[in-house]
Amino acid sequence: MWRLLALRPSWPPPEAEAPASSDPEGFRPLEEPWEARRTEPRPWPEPLYFVDGKEREEALLAQGERLALLGCVAAGVVVHRGGRMALLSSAVRRVGVGLSEPLRAGELLYEPVEASGSDYASLREGLSRAREALEGEVAAGLSGGLLVVDGPVRLLWPGPLLGYIKTHWARYLPGPEEALLHALRPGERTPAFRVRRRGMELASWYLRLPLPPEGLRPPQAGLLRVETPLSGPFSQLADLSLSLFPLLASHPMKDPRAPQNLVPVGALERELARRMGSPEVVGRLLAKHLGGG
Amino acid sequence: MERIGVVLGRREATPLEFWVGVEGEGLLRLDDLVVVEAFHPKVGRVRYFGMVDHVAKAHEGEAYDTDTFLAVEGRIPVSLVYVAHVSVTRILPEEFLPPDPGSPVYLAQGEELELALYYEAMRNQKGSTKLPAGLLKNGEAAYLNLEFLNGVKGGHVNISGISGVAAKTSYATFLIKSLLESGVLEDAHQAKVLLFNVKGEDLFFLDKPNARLNEEARRVYERLGLPATPFRSVAFLAPPRKDGYVPDLETRLEGVKAYHWDLVQFCQRGLLPFLFADRGFMTNLGLLVQHLTEKLRRLAEGQKGPHLLVEDWPGEDLPEEVSFESLGKVRLKSFSDLVRYLEYKLLGPETGEGEGDRTWTARQAKGTLEAFARRLRSSVENVAHLVRGDRPGNPPDPLKGEQVHVVDLAKLSPQAQMFVVGSLLKDLFERKERGQYRGRVFIVLDELNKYAPREEESPIKDVLLDIAERGRSLGVILIGAQQTASEVERRVVGNAAIRVVGRLDAAEAERPEYRYLPASFRQRALILPQGAVILHQPEIPVPLLVRFPFPAWATKREEVLEDNSAEALRRELLG
Repeated sequence: MWRLLALRPSWPPPEAEAPASSDPEGFRPLEEPWEARRTEPRPWPEPLYFVDGKEREEALLAQGERLALLGCVAAGVVVHRGGRMALLSSAVRRVGVGLSEPLRAGELLYEPVEASGSDYASLREGLSRAREALEGEVAAGLSGGLLVVDGPVRLLWPGPLLGYIKTHWARYLPGPEEALLHALRPGERTPAFRVRRRGMELASWYLRLPLPPEGLRPPQAGLLRVETPLSGPFSQLADLSLSLFPLLASHPMKDPRAPQNLVPVGALERELARRMGSPEVVGRLLAKHLGGG
Repeated sequence: MERIGVVLGRREATPLEFWVGVEGEGLLRLDDLVVVEAFHPKVGRVRYFGMVDHVAKAHEGEAYDTDTFLAVEGRIPVSLVYVAHVSVTRILPEEFLPPDPGSPVYLAQGEELELALYYEAMRNQKGSTKLPAGLLKNGEAAYLNLEFLNGVKGGHVNISGISGVAAKTSYATFLIKSLLESGVLEDAHQAKVLLFNVKGEDLFFLDKPNARLNEEARRVYERLGLPATPFRSVAFLAPPRKDGYVPDLETRLEGVKAYHWDLVQFCQRGLLPFLFADRGFMTNLGLLVQHLTEKLRRLAEGQKGPHLLVEDWPGEDLPEEVSFESLGKVRLKSFSDLVRYLEYKLLGPETGEGEGDRTWTARQAKGTLEAFARRLRSSVENVAHLVRGDRPGNPPDPLKGEQVHVVDLAKLSPQAQMFVVGSLLKDLFERKERGQYRGRVFIVLDELNKYAPREEESPIKDVLLDIAERGRSLGVILIGAQQTASEVERRVVGNAAIRVVGRLDAAEAERPEYRYLPASFRQRALILPQGAVILHQPEIPVPLLVRFPFPAWATKREEVLEDNSAEALRRELLG
């Protein structure tokens, strides 16, 4: 019998990005010379997909020594086609990380998901993996065009693919090259360089998003790192990204994560949060069916 | 049934009002009628009929107003919501449980529309009492329950609206057309109509077809079951010119008669008080007027007119033009003669400090007598052409002859307008009271605020109050109109069962007189186009916005469809 240990164990949610390995020594530029680049605006490819996911920890359960994390993961696709941005599809799934069989709490059904360990950190990691899997699922049905994902490139996708990283835990550039980051002006990017991660070969570059009003914040504030598989036409994609991301940058008046949190993705996240259901209602249901914490 | 959306659950759904989310390509506008079904095991099936009184579209998922710019540029996804607020008009059976959110909403059409607007209840033992009153937005006919107009359950109509835009007179004439020719009013052939023309000469072509009537308007008439024809039986009456006997009209010459009263009629019918329309009966002056009215009545007893014979006016005081009868009586041949005679009776001979005739002065102080004389003298200019002693009187008689009588007031001074309206209404009401005419009488009177003002007392107001309060049972129905209902006596407006509102001005629409309209309708009254009115009737809990057709009769000279056939020309030439 699972008993409720805590509702919404981590609130507010931590920033999802875990520190990745820094590797300034393995730096290898892919484009020459090392200086800021800007290009003529170019049209967006059609269709243009944005995939993003969202996870929410809903309850921590205990059965004797065992712990399980009930959570909700959601993923969705926004497509830009014919001049309009529209929600294409979305999926919501409730999972119980660490459970061995489905758990029902009223109308809510939590499907079991395996965890690498039984501590809280492993459970949370399991939840993240469930989200990534769901993102992969919604992206699997897509074809043609360009796919933009939030976060590092993890998916395997047949067409061109861009991942973008909002927060910079890792350093990829050695000192002299890193100086260019401070000199980048809005709408400019660095040359591409190689990144290796978990056996993947990627091309990556930094670009600077507009963050009005200019001049009030340090120039690093609007940096976005973009990556794409090295096997693709990374140079073209890098140029295209200058026509893409600055236009989609959010405004600091509206979004505390501006400018890196792109507007269609922000809207998708709001929509996903709505489809995950009200946390208060879910909390009451869990408390009612699994006993007070 | 056309499914249009679902009852929303994010906002409260109640038995009296709820919100609807419109689906897909669905279209829901203000005034559309919808029906929703609910089911509860204990009461069974319940149907809600309602009218849309608010519709809105919005972007869902936008956190800031400027997000719309992003959505238009295709940078953020938004979903468009289309919601409507429905005021319930009827619940069948009357089980006031709320509808379930998510219940399908259908457009009310055909039989459901009839249920929503209580049309199926508009009938009596003899048949339907649905009087066509215009067209609804969806093109279907809107009906009034005749029983609230003809006096059975209620009577009187009150129309408010800004002059010129609200088309008060047009709607009143359209209603008359519907009453007389839709066949719903049983004894329509017996009904009589008295129309007062207060502005311009718009009503003087009621019997002429309108050249501007197009096919579309004809179809509207057809839809309403009314012939697109001018009025058939109309008498036109206008006051004579001040310098003669010819009707004082500019745009129409043929077929118009001049009306006036002769002195004997003036005395016998007791019309004197209507010259003092701004004074109550309880003042000294009022009492004197009453007394003199009675004296004049006695004086005129048995006389044939048009002139008035008096025998106690000594020759030395006579104006030169006054002539003697063979028997020594003096013959009064004009209104000013009568005024002078009254002055003599009240104040004595002009020469010297004489006293008036005690039987006439009613013991009033000299000041009152002089005030009366002064006021009477000043009315000579205004009414001398309407009250005359030189030819037999022919005041309008709406109960005889043609079915519709149009009486012109437009060129008269305010005092003369009061006099004509007061005299006619009093006479008409008294005859109906005595049972001298069986059919119903409809009176159309604009500018009620002048004749029955909220603040002042006047004999005309008393007649109008009488009509408003007792006319219904006597078959005298008032179709009154005014720019501002707030300035009209409450009891006159309050007794009207049917209320009509055309375009209002913003300040007026906020007054308590219009509280019977829901807020959304008060708002819309400010922007009503010509040819549309808001109609409120007792049986239907929501007002209806109706359009009424372009008049089939001309409203000015230029609109008259000329009949150039040989027959018509011959008639015109030969007489």
